[in-house]
Amino acid sequence: MLEHFCQWLYDSAIGTGIRESIWVFPIIETVHVLTITLLVGTVAIFDLRLLGVVLKNEPVSRVASQILPLTWAGFAVMFVSGFLLFWSEAAKSYANPAFRIKLLLLALVGLNPLIFHFTIFQSVSEWNGRVVTPLRARLAAASSLTLWACIICAGRAIAYFQK
Amino acid sequence: MEAFYDLSTPESLVMEGITMKTKISLGSFLLAVLLTIPLLAHHSFSAEFDGTKPIQLKGTVTRIDWANPHVYFYIDIKGADGKVENWGCETAGPGGLLRRGWKRDSLKVGDEVTVNGYRAKDGSKLADARHITLPDGRRIFGGTPGDGGPDDPSAKKPGA
Repeated sequence: MLEHFCQWLYDSAIGTGIRESIWVFPIIETVHVLTITLLVGTVAIFDLRLLGVVLKNEPVSRVASQILPLTWAGFAVMFVSGFLLFWSEAAKSYANPAFRIKLLLLALVGLNPLIFHFTIFQSVSEWNGRVVTPLRARLAAASSLTLWACIICAGRAIAYFQK
Repeated sequence: MEAFYDLSTPESLVMEGITMKTKISLGSFLLAVLLTIPLLAHHSFSAEFDGTKPIQLKGTVTRIDWANPHVYFYIDIKGADGKVENWGCETAGPGGLLRRGWKRDSLKVGDEVTVNGYRAKDGSKLADARHITLPDGRRIFGGTPGDGGPDDPSAKKPGA
């Protein structure tokens, strides 16, 4: 079922067009890699603030309101460019172990801010100015940094398992 | 530069909370990363193929995957015992091949080709096609420039 869907995407006009293009594929690929800086770079700034490493004197909520819109913009570009790359390689990606691990990690890294925002971040006013934030916030930050690093590695590894 | 050598003096080790030692480690790490980048063109030759295992494949094309990031084509090879084996050949992407005059229709199913390449490390029936002799007699480099494999035209020869 899922495999058929991947094959259908792969065989579609858009998928084939990207796969066989001279410029479109490398351009999308380059955008996807460059935007890591916008997405993961801003995620790292916020995570490092939660860990008390950078912007120590800035209230957490202020860092969040300035940084997170950029994170979302980065995420949008990553999602679209990543999906286009997948579209062109879907049938190969389906069986690719690195791609499967990456999707799994992406699901986990998506769960992390969801839990963070609906639990410990609700009480941010109580610890907004603290250099070192509550343990749950620091755990969220540490797992976010670790997961994103693993996602980039898994993404890079896709090329080595693509047959 | 003096502080660099004077590592025994504790004050010289501390710069705005970051020790000189940390700075040196970070610097070396960055340098190592920068030196590694040219090896990761897309994926390096040596990640998948063994430069000590050259192979010549002569056979009939059965399939062509004109695709990014690497074009693959498959050929049927008849062994001495009459048994036919299907081999995969990896080359550069469509853009790289087009720049060398290898068009999409330069190779068709049913064509006879000769491939000089290197076997995959995992021992599968896959080769990096370094040179392909097309049906019209042209011999074209099939590798990805900068992949560090044999005959890489972008690699500078030592002393050259």
